[in-house]
Amino acid sequence: TGLGFCISEPMTARQTATWQTQRSPSDHLTLGHHVSTPGPDLTTQEFKEATKENASNVAFLEYEVLLPGECVSGISVAKDITLDKAARIELSCRLDKKFSHLKSLQVTWKRGNETIRHINKTENSWSIQLRILDNSNLGSYSCTLKGEKEISAVFHLQPKIEGKEKPIVSYEGDTAVMICNSLDYTPIAWTWYVTNGSEQIAINDSLLADKYVIDRISANVTHLKILKLTKEDDGVYWCEAAFELGKSKGKLKLKVLSLMVPLKPFLAIVSEVVILVTIVFLYEMYSKKKEKR
Amino acid sequence: PPPANLGRAPGPPDGGWGWAVVFGAFVSIGFAYAFPKGLAIFFKEIQDFFGTSYSEIAWVSSIMLATTYGAGPISSILVNRYGSRPVVIFGGLLCGIGMVSAAFCTSILQLYICVGFITGFGLALNLQPSVIIIGKYFLKRRPIANGLAMAGSPVMLCTLAPLNQFLFDNFGWRGSFLILGAILLNCCVAGALFRPIGAATASVKTQATQEEKDALKAEVTKDAMEMSSPTKVTVEAKTEEEGGKDCCEKINQYLDFSLFKHRGFLIYLIGNVLMFLGFFAPIVFLAPYAKHIGIDEYSAAFLLSILAIVDMVARPTTGIIANSKWVRPRIQYFFSFSIAFNGACHLLCPLASGYTGLVVYSVFFGLAFGMVCAMLFETLMDLVGATRFTSAVGLVTIAECCTILLGPPIGGTLIDTFGDYKYMFIKCGAVMVLAGTFLFIMNYYNYRMLAKEEKERKAKEEDPKSVRTENEGRNNWNKEAAQDGPELEPLREEQEGLKKEVNGT
Repeated sequence: TGLGFCISEPMTARQTATWQTQRSPSDHLTLGHHVSTPGPDLTTQEFKEATKENASNVAFLEYEVLLPGECVSGISVAKDITLDKAARIELSCRLDKKFSHLKSLQVTWKRGNETIRHINKTENSWSIQLRILDNSNLGSYSCTLKGEKEISAVFHLQPKIEGKEKPIVSYEGDTAVMICNSLDYTPIAWTWYVTNGSEQIAINDSLLADKYVIDRISANVTHLKILKLTKEDDGVYWCEAAFELGKSKGKLKLKVLSLMVPLKPFLAIVSEVVILVTIVFLYEMYSKKKEKR
Repeated sequence: PPPANLGRAPGPPDGGWGWAVVFGAFVSIGFAYAFPKGLAIFFKEIQDFFGTSYSEIAWVSSIMLATTYGAGPISSILVNRYGSRPVVIFGGLLCGIGMVSAAFCTSILQLYICVGFITGFGLALNLQPSVIIIGKYFLKRRPIANGLAMAGSPVMLCTLAPLNQFLFDNFGWRGSFLILGAILLNCCVAGALFRPIGAATASVKTQATQEEKDALKAEVTKDAMEMSSPTKVTVEAKTEEEGGKDCCEKINQYLDFSLFKHRGFLIYLIGNVLMFLGFFAPIVFLAPYAKHIGIDEYSAAFLLSILAIVDMVARPTTGIIANSKWVRPRIQYFFSFSIAFNGACHLLCPLASGYTGLVVYSVFFGLAFGMVCAMLFETLMDLVGATRFTSAVGLVTIAECCTILLGPPIGGTLIDTFGDYKYMFIKCGAVMVLAGTFLFIMNYYNYRMLAKEEKERKAKEEDPKSVRTENEGRNNWNKEAAQDGPELEPLREEQEGLKKEVNGT
């Protein structure tokens, strides 16, 4: 009935697909759709189907947001999408079937404040297609459904910054090199942060020139070299790439070990070798004595 | 009293302690072949650390491989002089020292030296002696022993790959190199198992030579098996008798260059050098090819695992088949067939579509690769005999060194030029089919020439007694299914020369 007290269905109930990162695409959805769920960031992946789209090996990805139809006027669903390579993207806003009775819906797609003209409409969904090849098309895209209420969803397209998932292991007194790669998108500037407790402190390499060296190797790659490592340098580091329309961060972990750590297995194995060689030679002498008798 | 045994020294034991030697060779050969491949896991990190390009890092692997094969002759000389055991132990120590010093390197050049040269040289001192000592311990069951020992390579690779990953995740590349240095010291354990056999008679040889000669004369027809000590002794006896050593003779003691006049050796050399042009490139490019046609990284890596597992099983199996009485006399044909089969797999690979096709290809490739590797040294032993094998293997590996190094870069150039992997597969397949066919035809010719020489020798003999004993010997040999036919030629030639000399004095 819709009057008075409205209960909006919890968003999570509309989850229709589980998300797995870094798995073979054949594990889940075969159509290349990702039905988005509120919550964790999505990460793009290459799909087998995409490679036959065009010869230049550009991935084709679709993102869809299922909009609530009731009582949630003005609420935005926000989605953060991180892209790790140039892709053709289709963003669509879909209205749940049970709300299709809502007549006279006007749908607008916007990038920032700019309206986008070419909208593909199907029965219950409205979508736009984008080519993201470099930074120029990154940013926030929103679809707004105007009916009795106004519902909108926002897609934040951000480039993925590639750091390292596994911690980098280094030793006291040694040098550590940490690399961040922004892949297909060129940032304006890079900044490095070290985590101190719960704070992130920017690294100023001109101030501490004998400890930190920051190099921009190429347009998309940055190096942080930490010299004369100590135990205090152990921890989490962030590299931040600034783009025209936002910033993206990559995470790296550094582990600093003392030289004693690998020395123990080393000595264990060396003693094992010595023991085995001694056993072999002793057995040989024993069997030779046996033969002589 | 002179040791009466020397004249009829028992032939290779074909068992007993020999199986311990096979295990040692398994470990040693495994490290020698698998270690350079296993290092690839560290390259990305080292590349980032030193800020070099990928090709500069890849040089580490190439230098290591080049040294392992190129130092073959040095290895042979040392084994000829000191026997297998000290050389392998020294090789193991060298590997350990190389990797431990690599852990403290501060530049890529130092890595080239420590990992590339020192460790590579240590591995060379592991590889050759292990193969040689199998020839000394086995004769009748030698193909099985060879197959089992060569199986060390895929087993070690399957073990080292995840181990290296684990070490890297926990200790970084420096700590990993330190621990790998310790692991390589296990080659010393393998070396300790290589108990010397037969050849360690340096001290008694002078007093035994006269008895040797007489004993040999009588025993030549009865002994169907190769003996390392008597022939070596006779070579030395000959040179001493001639008084004043000829320079060539002296070199030949250490490294037998007269092998280049040996027909079987030349056939093997040419065929193998040709084969190695197309041998390793497909393995190097299998995973990149899989990724190129759209397969994800993990499945592509799994293809190599399938290859390694099939390889692991194929090698001992091939050894057993090659040892059977139908195949052993014609082992050279079997070898040529497996090379051609390998080539055929590569030629058919471009037809494989999708992941299933590549899995099938990997299975057959693993099978063919295992077959060839299992018989690689067995066929050489079969052609030149166990004594001359020591020098032969050194000379062959240094010749192969060039084509092994050239193979993958040529394949890479073909891929870059045409943008398509299929030309690389076609090139590798064609080269191997050609090598297989060449070996088949030339070995057919060789077998016929050997049979002809046998007949001629038989006809030349005038002494009725020796003719009779020769015939008896011939019957004995035939009973043994002529498995030692080609190898006994060098032994027989030596003994003929000896007989003539003794008759002359």
